[in-house]
Amino acid sequence: MLVSTRAPAVSAAAPQRFLPNFNSISSLSFSSSSSFINEKKIKTTVGWSNYSSTRMDKKMNLLVTSATASVAAQPLENADALIDSVETFIFDCDGVIWKGDSLIEGVPETLELLRSKGKRLVFVTNNSTKSRKQYGKKFETLGLDVNEEEIFASSFAAAAYLQSINFPKDKKIYVIGEEGILIELELAGYSYLGGPEDGGKKIELKPGFLMEHDKDVGAVVVGFDRYFNYYKVQYGTLCVRENPGCLFLATNRDAVTHLTDAQEWAGGGSMVGALVGSTQREPVVVGKPSTFMMDYLANKFGITKSQICMVGDRLDTDILFGQNGGCKTLLVLSGVTSLSMLQNPNNSIQPDFYTSKISDFLSLKGAIV
Amino acid sequence: MGDDGSTAACQPLSLSNLHSLLDSVDCFLFDCDGVIWKGDTLIDGVPQTLEMLRSKGKKLIFVTNNSSKSRRQNAQKFQSLGIPVTEEEIFSSSFAAAMYLKVNEFPPEKKVYVIGGEGILEELKLAGFTGLGGPEDGKKTVQLKANTLFEHDKSVGAVVVGIDPNINYYKLQYGTLCIRENPGCVFIATNRDATGNMTDLQEWPGAGCMVAAICGSTQKEPVVVGKPSTFLMEFLQKQYNIPTAKMCMVGDRLDTDILFGQNAGCKTLLVLSGVTSKSTLQDPLNHIQPDIYTNQISDIFDLLNS
Repeated sequence: MLVSTRAPAVSAAAPQRFLPNFNSISSLSFSSSSSFINEKKIKTTVGWSNYSSTRMDKKMNLLVTSATASVAAQPLENADALIDSVETFIFDCDGVIWKGDSLIEGVPETLELLRSKGKRLVFVTNNSTKSRKQYGKKFETLGLDVNEEEIFASSFAAAAYLQSINFPKDKKIYVIGEEGILIELELAGYSYLGGPEDGGKKIELKPGFLMEHDKDVGAVVVGFDRYFNYYKVQYGTLCVRENPGCLFLATNRDAVTHLTDAQEWAGGGSMVGALVGSTQREPVVVGKPSTFMMDYLANKFGITKSQICMVGDRLDTDILFGQNGGCKTLLVLSGVTSLSMLQNPNNSIQPDFYTSKISDFLSLKGAIV
Repeated sequence: MGDDGSTAACQPLSLSNLHSLLDSVDCFLFDCDGVIWKGDTLIDGVPQTLEMLRSKGKKLIFVTNNSSKSRRQNAQKFQSLGIPVTEEEIFSSSFAAAMYLKVNEFPPEKKVYVIGGEGILEELKLAGFTGLGGPEDGKKTVQLKANTLFEHDKSVGAVVVGIDPNINYYKLQYGTLCIRENPGCVFIATNRDATGNMTDLQEWPGAGCMVAAICGSTQKEPVVVGKPSTFLMEFLQKQYNIPTAKMCMVGDRLDTDILFGQNAGCKTLLVLSGVTSKSTLQDPLNHIQPDIYTNQISDIFDLLNS
């Protein structure tokens, strides 16, 4: 049921400063998946009696791996050829367009160039903290001419997924995440509980204390949450374990993310991991590398996937997303991935091309528009 | 990890299998949460049962995955509940974490970042190590602003993660940075229990939750020092010199307590007074079969007194 796979840890393997001499640990240490299969570990797609598996959902259930791992990525030399070979460019945002709140240089001119060549531009981000509309504002503030309709954040994806499976409007959704998810759920006509407000709730583990939870919660959506706490984990866990058919959705499972341009921050993968740990269930992932958003926008805009180039800075989400969708893929080194990570023998995800940043489209093309 | 591969279903406790258990076993290892107590509430019949086993000359040892208390703090809890138990009879996963660092010669000039309770910090200190974090970091918040850098101590050489009701983003970020950026930093989990009976009325997320959160952000797997890892068994045997075949592990959780007992070659007794129900035990998907099962440990007392 796991839709996203993780690439080998892209940070350099930490050499052990001291080696364990207790032999039984390596053979007996508890691995991440329990040997005891929890009886409640049901497939989330059959949670609703009136739900029939859609094509989109079937695709999501496939274990997503890199199809063509063997050919090494080529440095981008002929940008024109790449641009001419596709109709649509899908861009990741963090590490490609901006870093934190700072625009990466050359981006406005690059986007303008592509538009002038008649290319469709789409922005797909795993960041669920903002809604599409809020992202639209961010683009605007940075001086970029991007329409809300061109933006697909994982917050939107969560709401779109629920709509795609006809999640009943009389059921509620418990959210471990930020405002973006709440806004998108509301826009889609759903009632939610939780969100940032629950960050202020405390629990006291003492005799006689019982945490109640709403039995009408039919789905728990988990994404990046800077207000993460034990109350939320328990609430979400109770819903998933005790409400029959309750879905467990993850906006994304990114290990780290560039919330500020200065450093990496623990990402949604952390909060989702916490719920996986307590429920012993795997979530349905709606963000990259799951192809849910790809299928959604291909459908919506009538695009052929082979006519798309996915541009991103992260191998195990962006590039895998593009490959799983059958698109061309371009890795930029302006974000979390360095050239040495790409070329590390432990890395099996090879994009078609790589370049330092998207504004290379301008310099590598040679002539001016 | 494996179960013993036996396909024999486990038997309900009876007078006859209880007698053979008492004849063949010199030492009883008890889990605590869901066996002795639930949260701070004693499960009924426990004191008399333990007393009776002691009077029959059986050694009693308590092996708990709950890392929130140190051995000393656990002993205090027993005493406050009217049960005489000494610190030396308790092997908590907080103690296991400190011992793991000790046997592997963790340099004392390196620090240990703790996502967990006081118990871990106390055991680290007793073992001569410097712990950072713990419950105090539960009050810290994070500023996500362009010019603010989240700092972390570069001399942290190990991150220990256990159950933490004060879990927050600050701790997740701190632990993540240490593991990802400090060369050679070790990731240790006291245990990976998904849930536990932290209060008498319901289950709560266990260390498995916090550990998986750090796995999610670091993409690394931890060394697990608590059950079902048999790491603690070595210490137990050094102290008490009893062969594991003459031990019986009594617990409420299949994938930690019972697996621990089986991995170490002990007899195993599952009680249904904690997280496992009879239907879970008998579910065809369950591959972990203890030797015997019963409702609660006082059934031992009741059977022998009937």
